Amino acid sequence: MKKFFALMLVLLLAMCLMVGCGEKEQEVDENAEWAPTSPVTVIVAYKAGSGTDNTARVLTTYAEKYVGQSLVIENLEGGSGSIGWTALVNAEADGYTIGFVNLPTYFSNIAQGGVDYTAESIVPICNHVNETSVILVAADSPFNTLEELVTYAQANPGVLKASTNGNQASNHIGAQLFASTAGFEYTAIPYGGTADQLLALRQGEVDFSSAKFADFASFTSEVKVLGVMATERMADHPEIPTLGELGYYDQWYGSARCIVAPAGTPQNVIDFYEAAFKAAMEDADYLAAATTASVTTDYMDAEALAGLLAAQNTFAMETVTALFPAE
Amino acid sequence: MTEALTTAQTLSLMGAGFVNALTPLNLLAMAASVTLGIVIGCLPGLSAAMGVALLLPMTFTMEPATGLIVLGGIYCGAIFGGSISAILIHTPGTPASAATALDGYQLTLQGKAGKALATACVSSFFGGLLSCISLYFFAPALAKLAMKFASPENFWLSIFGLTIIAGVSSKSLLKGLMSGALGLILSTIGMDPMEGVKRFQFGQVALYDGINTTCALIGLFSMSQVLILAEKKIKERGNVVAVKDRMMLTWAEFKLITPTILRSWIIGNIIGILPGAGASIACFMGYNEAYRFSKHKEDFGHGSIEGVAGSEAANNAVTGGSLIPMLTLGIPGESVTAVLMGGLIIQGLQPGPELFTRYAPMTYTFFAGFVLIQFFMLAIGLIGSKGFAHISRLSDAILIPCVTVLCVVGSFAIRKNFVDVVLMLIFGMLGYLVRKFDLNPAAIVLALILGPIGERGLRRSLLLSGGNPAILFSTPLCWALIILSVIGIMSPMLMNRLEKKSVVPESPQGDVDNRTEAEVSE
Repeated sequence: MKKFFALMLVLLLAMCLMVGCGEKEQEVDENAEWAPTSPVTVIVAYKAGSGTDNTARVLTTYAEKYVGQSLVIENLEGGSGSIGWTALVNAEADGYTIGFVNLPTYFSNIAQGGVDYTAESIVPICNHVNETSVILVAADSPFNTLEELVTYAQANPGVLKASTNGNQASNHIGAQLFASTAGFEYTAIPYGGTADQLLALRQGEVDFSSAKFADFASFTSEVKVLGVMATERMADHPEIPTLGELGYYDQWYGSARCIVAPAGTPQNVIDFYEAAFKAAMEDADYLAAATTASVTTDYMDAEALAGLLAAQNTFAMETVTALFPAE
Repeated sequence: MTEALTTAQTLSLMGAGFVNALTPLNLLAMAASVTLGIVIGCLPGLSAAMGVALLLPMTFTMEPATGLIVLGGIYCGAIFGGSISAILIHTPGTPASAATALDGYQLTLQGKAGKALATACVSSFFGGLLSCISLYFFAPALAKLAMKFASPENFWLSIFGLTIIAGVSSKSLLKGLMSGALGLILSTIGMDPMEGVKRFQFGQVALYDGINTTCALIGLFSMSQVLILAEKKIKERGNVVAVKDRMMLTWAEFKLITPTILRSWIIGNIIGILPGAGASIACFMGYNEAYRFSKHKEDFGHGSIEGVAGSEAANNAVTGGSLIPMLTLGIPGESVTAVLMGGLIIQGLQPGPELFTRYAPMTYTFFAGFVLIQFFMLAIGLIGSKGFAHISRLSDAILIPCVTVLCVVGSFAIRKNFVDVVLMLIFGMLGYLVRKFDLNPAAIVLALILGPIGERGLRRSLLLSGGNPAILFSTPLCWALIILSVIGIMSPMLMNRLEKKSVVPESPQGDVDNRTEAEVSE
């Protein structure tokens, strides 16, 4: 009996160890056609069930068909993504580790300092999702238009409060872009994440917020969207004005989630994934699943993504740094 | 959105839910997921949230209801499973079982591992089953509570939680408070939640979000236990306790824990509903209330089945409770429900009122599955416990290396980060010293969990009010929590005094301490 249980314990240990190990060594030939011969690790720097994780899982489920191997999502959350991205850029550049990177957070983390990676630590494969930021208030808010909100805020500097998903995190940047271009002062209240941030808005603890549509899809009736941070009105919501129309921030702002590989990954590997994910994002089954899960697919090839990365880098280094002057 | 349903319609949907849930496929899914959940819960480092996350992708191809049932099974199984290792090897498999280790392990030392496991299983079953009642009938009403719980309330909740330290403190309240203070100080490590300033991080990215609670827990409870076992082994050949054990609870024992289970159900349910709190706090609260109302206080810390029941019923009552704000309002109260919500969204189901109207058949099938899951948990748990209890008879020569490996692998598995392993080892040594000095590891963990909630609540409240502390006293809920906190602090002292007057002075209530172990092995 004792032996049996000892054996059981050992089996359990072995199971744990298997969870821990997943390294693989593979020779990569730069010129030949490349395709993975064993499962590929996909790093997601946010926890399972988060927005980033959901969109990543919808894509990987359908991309496996085109990659020819299983895509194993690894959630390495924490530090606004920096824990997962540190792991990603330090992974072996052999094509068996790729990951999702969120923009502009990847770059704003660099701009804030304290992370080991740089803009050069990653090579672009393709873009997956694009979500436009909006400015919203609770359904029972006295403000029905952005102008009303701005007029009140200008008359009462610092009185209005906005919930954010963290100090200088993506939605804080959104609120700050709005406030600085509309010329008013407000108090930013940081919450642990987007869910808590919007809960505070619904509870009436704060007056307005900046977020993306997918963040409040389950309680759209409880909020009013006053403006979108895009250059044109959104096709699904033509009644909502852009911030630019009203004379505030006139650029696009939002978040993008793209697929990248660690720097040094051979070109043929990048080409392979670029083609595989393109095919996956055009797959009818994927598109149906993406629609149900409200994933706003926006494929960009490696070259276009490289441009977006560069633009976001500049945005983070210049615009965001200017938004939050050191105190 | 479709219009609200009548009561009759709702009831018939609830009934239909059971019919739908009873398909062979669903039953198989329940049995398999509960078993897997128990195994995941058992293993330190693999928490309920990680188990649910691991299984999430597999549910995409299933029917929504079946997929949710699988995830629910993992959730309930893992919350119960954590108690198995907590009881047998003083290694809470998940933070939700930290309080179970206090008395559960003492029972194991007395050779009553089977009884402790059965108590945990039965309490978990009732905790989970009772929480289904509120899930079915009070979801919309209870969900409102979640909406009322804002920053000031969160601050007071953490203060109320900290008063539990008085309850779980060993011989000396002073040492309990010292332990709590140590935990609070440790909880300041990591990025400042309001201004993004790095505090005591020493350049470690892994400390960005503070000390990982699971890491600290594994170190303080399990690794320190290994060190103490090993020390005993070196000093004296520890004699194995003869197992004089009956698995099944007697009727008298069942009657003894019934009030505790009912109390813990209410506690767990409410804690589950509140965003930000969770099973790890509920288990301590359940344990504390079990102690407060117990007629056998002297048993606490020396192997009280009431203590095990209090903790286990509360943490499983969280499961049903935590689903309420997630399903009705789209507020994921804790990490498991956040993953579950992700699962729903991927299936194209947005949490909210539509789940109870348009998608009501699916929702009620899931609810029915959730009820049935509890029965599977009871059956599998009881059958399994019979076997698991034998682990307590393994000699230390086998247990010590096994638990050590589990500790290392468990702390690594959380984030695949070696810093976490080092952290676990540091906490192991800290835990060893803490226990040598009769300080209280449970109080440290509690403070480590509650510290950040309190800090955020307080600082956010003050930021909202422009620095005016009046905001902390602005709502009736705040006052309710303040009164509860005062009662929490005063009642142990008052009760002590009352008892001293009435009967013979009682032996001081203990906690995890070395003296008890010494007494047992004598």
